[in-house]
Amino acid sequence: MDCPGATFSKGLAMTLLTTVYSFLYQFGDSFAYLTLSALGLAVIFGMMGVINLAHGEFVMCGAYVTILTAKAGVPLPLAMLTGALAAACVGAILEYLVVRHLYNRLFDSIVATWAVSLITQQAMLIFAGPSIEGLSTPFNSFELGDYSFSTYRALLPFFAIAVLAGLYLLFFRTNYGVYARATIQNAQMAKCLGLRTPRIYSMTFALGAGLAGLAGALYAPTITAVPTMGSSFIVPAFVTVVTGGANVLLGVLPAAGFLGLIQSGMTAAFGQLAGQIGLLITVIFVIRLLPMGMGHLFNRR
Amino acid sequence: MNKIRRMAIACAFTLPVAMSVMAVEPVKLGLLEDQSGNFSLAVIPKIHATQLAIDEINAKGGILGRPIKLIHYDTQSDNTKFQEFARRLIQTDKPEVIFGGFSSASREAIRPIMDKAKQLYFYNNQYEGGVCDSNVFVTGAVPEQQFSTLVPWLMEKYGKRVYTIAADYNFGQISAEWVRKIVKENGGTMAGEEFIPLSVNQFGQTIQNIQKAKPDFVMTLLVGNLQSAYFEQQAAANLNLPMGSSIQVGQAYEHKRFKPPALKNMYVTPNYIEEVDSPASNDFKKRFKAKYPNEPYISQEAANAYDAVYIYKAAAEKAKSTDMVAVRKALEGGGICTDGPQGKVCMDPKSHHMSHTIYLAHVQDDHSIKFPKVWNDIQPYWLGEAGCNLAVKADYSQYTPSNPPKK
Amino acid sequence: MTFLNKMKTTELPKAAATAVAQSTGARPWKNVADPMLLLIVACFFTPLFLSQGGVSNLAYCLIWTFAAIGLASMWGFGGILSFGQTAFFGLAGYCYGVFTINFGDSPLSTWAGVLSGLLLCMVLAALLGYMIFYGGIKDVFIGIVTLSVTLVFETFMAQTAGPKWAIGAARLNGFNGMSAMPSLSLPGAGAEHILLEGNYFLFTVLVLLVIVYVATKKLLSSSFGLTLEAIRENPHRAEMLGIDIRRYQLLIFIFGSTLAGLSGILYTAWGSYITPSSMGLTASAMPIIWVATGGRRSLAGAIIATVALLDLSQELVVYGSQYALVLMGFILLVVVMLMPAGVLPTLKTMFFRQ
Repeated sequence: MDCPGATFSKGLAMTLLTTVYSFLYQFGDSFAYLTLSALGLAVIFGMMGVINLAHGEFVMCGAYVTILTAKAGVPLPLAMLTGALAAACVGAILEYLVVRHLYNRLFDSIVATWAVSLITQQAMLIFAGPSIEGLSTPFNSFELGDYSFSTYRALLPFFAIAVLAGLYLLFFRTNYGVYARATIQNAQMAKCLGLRTPRIYSMTFALGAGLAGLAGALYAPTITAVPTMGSSFIVPAFVTVVTGGANVLLGVLPAAGFLGLIQSGMTAAFGQLAGQIGLLITVIFVIRLLPMGMGHLFNRR
Repeated sequence: MNKIRRMAIACAFTLPVAMSVMAVEPVKLGLLEDQSGNFSLAVIPKIHATQLAIDEINAKGGILGRPIKLIHYDTQSDNTKFQEFARRLIQTDKPEVIFGGFSSASREAIRPIMDKAKQLYFYNNQYEGGVCDSNVFVTGAVPEQQFSTLVPWLMEKYGKRVYTIAADYNFGQISAEWVRKIVKENGGTMAGEEFIPLSVNQFGQTIQNIQKAKPDFVMTLLVGNLQSAYFEQQAAANLNLPMGSSIQVGQAYEHKRFKPPALKNMYVTPNYIEEVDSPASNDFKKRFKAKYPNEPYISQEAANAYDAVYIYKAAAEKAKSTDMVAVRKALEGGGICTDGPQGKVCMDPKSHHMSHTIYLAHVQDDHSIKFPKVWNDIQPYWLGEAGCNLAVKADYSQYTPSNPPKK
Repeated sequence: MTFLNKMKTTELPKAAATAVAQSTGARPWKNVADPMLLLIVACFFTPLFLSQGGVSNLAYCLIWTFAAIGLASMWGFGGILSFGQTAFFGLAGYCYGVFTINFGDSPLSTWAGVLSGLLLCMVLAALLGYMIFYGGIKDVFIGIVTLSVTLVFETFMAQTAGPKWAIGAARLNGFNGMSAMPSLSLPGAGAEHILLEGNYFLFTVLVLLVIVYVATKKLLSSSFGLTLEAIRENPHRAEMLGIDIRRYQLLIFIFGSTLAGLSGILYTAWGSYITPSSMGLTASAMPIIWVATGGRRSLAGAIIATVALLDLSQELVVYGSQYALVLMGFILLVVVMLMPAGVLPTLKTMFFRQ
C-alpha cells in the first residue's frame, strides 16, 4: 500500500507533467501551423521575391486532391503526397503561363497572383460546389491526466521539422540546391556559368507550390474543405516569412518558433482574441527591432 | 361627328390593349444574396428556395394576377456590394420589395439605405434578434425562440454546468448572453465562456480549456467555414461531450460535410431542416429536388426564404395592392400566415418577426438526425415584451438585451 | 562638375536632388491644362445626362479615388508599399461616425467630424510612420507591418459588439458595424440644412477631388516630389547626397494615409455605415490592385483605374452573375500581363509616342 506522501507527490508530478506537456502541445500546434503555412511562401516569396497572393489556392489544391484521392481508396499518406504533387504541377503551369513574365517587375506579381486567386476560388465554387465532404483526422487520441490530445496533431510539429530538414538537405546537399541558390543570388552570373535559369526558376516555383500543397494536404483532415479554405493560411504564411527574413531556412524556424510561442502563450493566458492580436503585434515589434528579419541574426556573411 | 366616332373606335381598340399591358406589369422582387464568396455555402439554398416559391406562385397566376419578376444581384459576400446593389435596386430597378442578407453586417449595411428610401425589406435569416424597424420584416428565427427551447431541455438531460464557445462578434456575443440568462434562470452555472475571433480555425487551447472546466455540455455558437473546423478537431481530441447550438447544422449542414462522428451528440433547434419527416416537409422536399436535383442541402434558411415569398403574397393580397405602405399596413394588421415546410407560421405585427415551429434535432453517431421533440408555434416574444410595437409606433433601430428600447 | 562648384553648400541637397531626379529620367510636368483635370471638371455635368442611379454610382466610385491617389503618391513616387490604406479608411470612418453621432447632424458638426477624422489619421500615421521609417524598416517589411496593423484593427473592432464599447453616445457595435451617422450637410436658409446627397454629394466629392488632385500634383512636382523620386530610385545615393530620406518618407506616408482617411469619411457619410470588414485582408488589397493596374506612377491612372474597376465589378455582377469574379480575374490578369506600366501610361505611350 502506498503511503500518502508517495500518492501526493505522484499526483503533483502528474499535474506538472500534464501542464508542461499541454503547453508544449499547444506550442507545437501553433509552431506547426505557422511553419507549414510559411514554407511554400518562403521559397516563392522569400527566395524568388514573387509576392504570391495565390498561395492559399495552392494549399486548397493540395487539400482537395488529397481528399478526393483518399476517398477513392488511396491510403492517406500516399493521398497526401499526391496532393502535394498536384499542387506542384499547378505551380509549374502557373509559373510557365504567368509568373515567368513578371520576374523583372515583381510588384506586378501582386495583381497577377491576386487575379489567379480570384479565378481559382470562383471556378472551384462553380465546378466543385461550395464544399466537399472532408476526411477524419487519422490516428486516435491519447490521454494525459485530465486532458486528451489528438495523436495526429501532436505529431504535426515533427512533420514540420522533418520537412524543414528535408528542405535543408535539398538546398545544401544536392546539385539542384546549389543551382537554385546560385540562380536566386545572381541569375546573370548563373546563366553565364551555364545554368539553365528558366528551368531552375520553374522547378523552384513548383517546389514552393508543392510545399504549400503539402500544408494543405497535412491539414485537410482537420479543417473544412471549401474553395476559400486557403485564405486562413495566407496571413500566418506572410508574417512568418517576413519576420524570418530573406533566408528561407535560417529564418522560418526561429520566426515560427518565436511567433508560435507568443501566440500559444497569449491564447492560453488570455484567450483566442489575445492570441490573434498578440501574434500580429509581435510581428510589428520583431520587424521594428530586427528590420532585416530574424534570419539575418543567424546569417553568416 | 366622324372625328368623334373615329376617336371612339380608336379608344375602343387601344384601351383593352393598354389595360392588358398594365395588367401584366410584373411584381418586382429584388434579391440581394451571396451567390459567391465565403457565405455562398449557406446562401445558395436560399436563392434556390426563393426561385422555387416564385415559380410556384407564377404558375398559379402570380400575385393579384401579376407575375413576380426576380431581380437578383450576387453580392459576393461583400458588404460594399450590398450597399452598391441596394442603391441600384432602389434607384434604377424600383422593386416592390427587397429580400436579402445573410450576415447581420450585410443587413445593417443596407438597413439605412432601406430606411432612407422607405423601402419594404425582408430579412430571411436567423440572427441575434432585436431589429425593430418599420421597413424590415424578419422571417428568420431569433434567440428567444431557439434557446428558450434548447437550453432547458439540455440542462434537464445532461446537467447544469454549461460551457459556451461563441464567435466573437455581435451574433455570438448576444447569443452567449441569452444562453447565460437562460442557464441562470434554470438554476445552472456557466463553467466557462470563450469568444473566438472569426478568423480563427485552430482550437487546441479551447479544447483544453473545456476539458479543464469539465462542463456537462458545450454550447457551440460558431460561425463561418473557418470556425467549423472546431468539430473535427474536438472529435480528434476525443472531447466526447454533448453539444448544443442554435446555428450549427441548420444553416451550413456541417453534419453532411464532416465525416462522422465529428458532430455526434450535437443538439440543434432550427425551425426547419431537410431531415424533418412530416407531410408538409416531404412535399416541399419533393418539389425542391424536382427543380434542383443537385442541391447539397435544404436548410433552415431555405425554408424561411420560401415562406417569405408566400408571406409577402398573403400580405399583398390582403392589402389588394403591392404598394409598399399598404403591404406594410396589412402585415401590421396581423393574421398574415403561411403554410410551408414547417407548418403554419405567422408574422407578428408588433415586432415584424415570425413565429416558428422549433424542431429539436439530435445528430447521431452516423450523422443521421432524430427529432426527440418538436415545439409548435413559438412566438418571437422578446421585442414585444421589451417595448417594440411597430404596429403603433414607428422605429428604425436594433436593440439587444443589454440595450433594450427606451420605455 | 563645374556646375556643382558654383552651388552654395546649403543649396547642394536641393540641386543635387533635382539633378539626380532629372538624370533618372523623370519628366518635367506639363504646365498646360491637365487632361485629367478637365475630365474631373466635365463630371460636374453628368447629372444632365445620367440617371439618378448613375450619378449616385459615379459619386460612390469617386469616393475611393482618394485612397488610390494616396497610395499612388506613396508607392509610385515614394516607393512605399503600404497595406495600411484601409486601416486609415476605417479609422477615419469610425471617427466621423463617433463625432457626428455624439454632436448631432448640423453642418458644423458634420464638417468638424470630417476634420477630426483627418486629424486622427494624420496623428496616427505620424506615429506609425515614425516607428516604421525612423526604425529602419524597408521595402516589403513595410507592407507586412502595415498589413499587421490593419488586421489588428479589424480583429479588435470586430469584437466590440458589447455595450461597454461605446464612445459617448456612439456604440462601436463590432462586426455588425456602426450606422445612423448623418450625411454631410451645408447651412441652408432658415432651419433646414442642405443635405449633401444625390447630385450635391457628387459635387462635393468632385470639388474635393479637384482640390486633392491639384494639390497632389503640385506636391509631387515640387522639389519635395522630385526628392521623393530620387529616394525611390536609389535610397543609398540619396542618403549620400545628404537627404534625410526618413523625413520625406514619413511625410508622404502621412499624406497618403490621410487621403485614405478622406475616402473613409466620405464612404461613411455616403452609406451611413462603417464596419470592420472595410479593414479586412481583401479590402486592403483592393487599393493596391487599382493603383497597380492603373499605373502606380500615374495619378490620373490611379483615378481612372479605380472608377473603371469598381464600375466593371458591378457591371460584371449584373451581366455575368456568378462568373463575375472569374471574368474580373481574367481581365486583371490580361491587363497586368500586356501592360506592364499600367493601363494609362501604356495607352499614353501608344497614342502619344513620348
